[in-house]
Amino acid sequence: MQKKSRLRRATGWDVVIFIALTLTAIVIFLPFYNAVVISMETNRAYALNPVSLYPVEFTMRNYEHLISKGQIGIGYKNTIFITFIGTALSMAAMVSMAYAFSRKKYPGKKFFFLLMMFTMFFSGGMIPTYLQFKNLGLINNVWAVILYSGVSAYNIIILKNGFEQTPPELEEAARIDGANDLVIFLRVELPLQGALLATFTLFTAVGYWNEWFWSTLLINSGSKMTLQVVLKAIVAESAALEDVSTGEAGLDTFAQGIKMAAVMLTMVPIMCLYPFLQKYFVKGVLVGSVKM
Amino acid sequence: MKTQLNRLGREIWQARYIYLLMIPGLLFFIIFHYVPMNGVVLAFKKFNARLGIWGSPSVGWANFERIFRTPDAINAIRNTFEINLSRLVFQFPAAIILALLLNEMRGTRVKRIYQTVYTFPHFLSWVVVSSILSNFLASGGLINSIIAGMGGSRINFLADTALFRPLLYLTHNWKEMGWDSIIYMAAIAGIDPTLYEAATVDGAGRMHQVIHVTLPGILSTIVILFILQVGRIMNAGFEQIFYMQNAAVMKVSDVLDTYIYTITFRATPNYGFSAAVGLFKSVINLFMLLAANWTVKKASGSGLFA
Repeated sequence: MQKKSRLRRATGWDVVIFIALTLTAIVIFLPFYNAVVISMETNRAYALNPVSLYPVEFTMRNYEHLISKGQIGIGYKNTIFITFIGTALSMAAMVSMAYAFSRKKYPGKKFFFLLMMFTMFFSGGMIPTYLQFKNLGLINNVWAVILYSGVSAYNIIILKNGFEQTPPELEEAARIDGANDLVIFLRVELPLQGALLATFTLFTAVGYWNEWFWSTLLINSGSKMTLQVVLKAIVAESAALEDVSTGEAGLDTFAQGIKMAAVMLTMVPIMCLYPFLQKYFVKGVLVGSVKM
Repeated sequence: MKTQLNRLGREIWQARYIYLLMIPGLLFFIIFHYVPMNGVVLAFKKFNARLGIWGSPSVGWANFERIFRTPDAINAIRNTFEINLSRLVFQFPAAIILALLLNEMRGTRVKRIYQTVYTFPHFLSWVVVSSILSNFLASGGLINSIIAGMGGSRINFLADTALFRPLLYLTHNWKEMGWDSIIYMAAIAGIDPTLYEAATVDGAGRMHQVIHVTLPGILSTIVILFILQVGRIMNAGFEQIFYMQNAAVMKVSDVLDTYIYTITFRATPNYGFSAAVGLFKSVINLFMLLAANWTVKKASGSGLFA
């Protein structure tokens, strides 16, 4: 079918579809590109000509201004710490639980599974969760974000579906050799599921990188702020600057430019990771499939 | 009886490493989900920080009654329903249409490039996305400069009560449509190719093939995602709205999540009332999920849980 359709002559439909998809791609790409241009533009040039396909007066002053203020650096440091430790711990917890759920019948399997799944559809809400953090002494502590925001029942279910696809003969062979569940998990299953683990490691890491809600609620001292919280503060600050007057920050730097520079600095690591993400995500979605 | 107990004991012992592997995950769900669930009793109390959740005096249903006497809360409930029903109409089909179009598109390489572009925004946070888009739509931004250049008058997109909600759906599609379409693309890839061959033999054109082969082929995927979406009916996308809303559009944009946030972090919070609004939201969500699942199961014979 695929081959045949390529041989087919282009029809009116093909043209319509191509144009629709091309326009969609442009609409999605343009705001990014516009943001890049503004972040490298001087205040003067932007005021004269806001519609430009390239920086008319190229400058890196917006970036320099931001970096010299130091907030971004602190945000980077905290977010990198949270992302690395958080991803490692969450993946360990999720993968071992998913493996346990992928095993054949044992007492309590169904009960524990429902216990986990229920959390997808019902929660105690923001206040009780916040008070629980308080009871645990995790207020203004980056460990709150590390422990809380990485584990998800949904991901565990998809990982479980992945483990279930391992051919049973491999496990039987290992069992005949005297391996127990722990050995099978570490020596047979994990090495076989490389792609799946890579996918979810990346997803979890992106999740930590982008986490904002609980970081804002739980962390209040400037030295512990995460990158997204810093970005939000910069955006709010620059909005206030725009209200007073444009160009407050100097001739070359300006509120809009600084804001976009901050956005770019927050995005860069994701942009670098994206080629890897893209390579794996389709596989990740496919392996789990939607069916629970 | 004794032999049964023995057997159970033996089964548990045999699965000991499996339980061991489950411990970290179970601890997580118990500590961060189930213990806070006990906190819902807060919704029936007048919270006193000194006395704690359990020591605070009980007030029965008073907090819930207050929800329906508070105009802002009623407004938030109405907005939540309106916005989410509109999301089902304007957002849910977008990913399906995109997947169908991509599937019909010729040229594998171009298709891959486009998919790369479509999917990228999914991996960014709403802080980043809303900053980029509000810059793009600002009164001095690109869109307005083009409008002004063509002789039109500038539009304050984000502060216009009539435009705010359509912008919510549009920006959500901008960020998530590409990602959401992947799951449909996967489902389409799983359709038996002989079905298309048979349809071609029967003289079905391209449009007919899409309607009679592709769509039925991904129907079960659509149904499951639809149920899940309905189950989130009361979660109106907190971060997106929180970043995009401003005083000018509060009336049309304040949803339960943002309302809870506002009342919790104002100068004189009433945790009991906040918790009541939160519980109200959670219960309706659960009810909607089960109702949607039940309806679909009755109609098609398969639901989410079986």
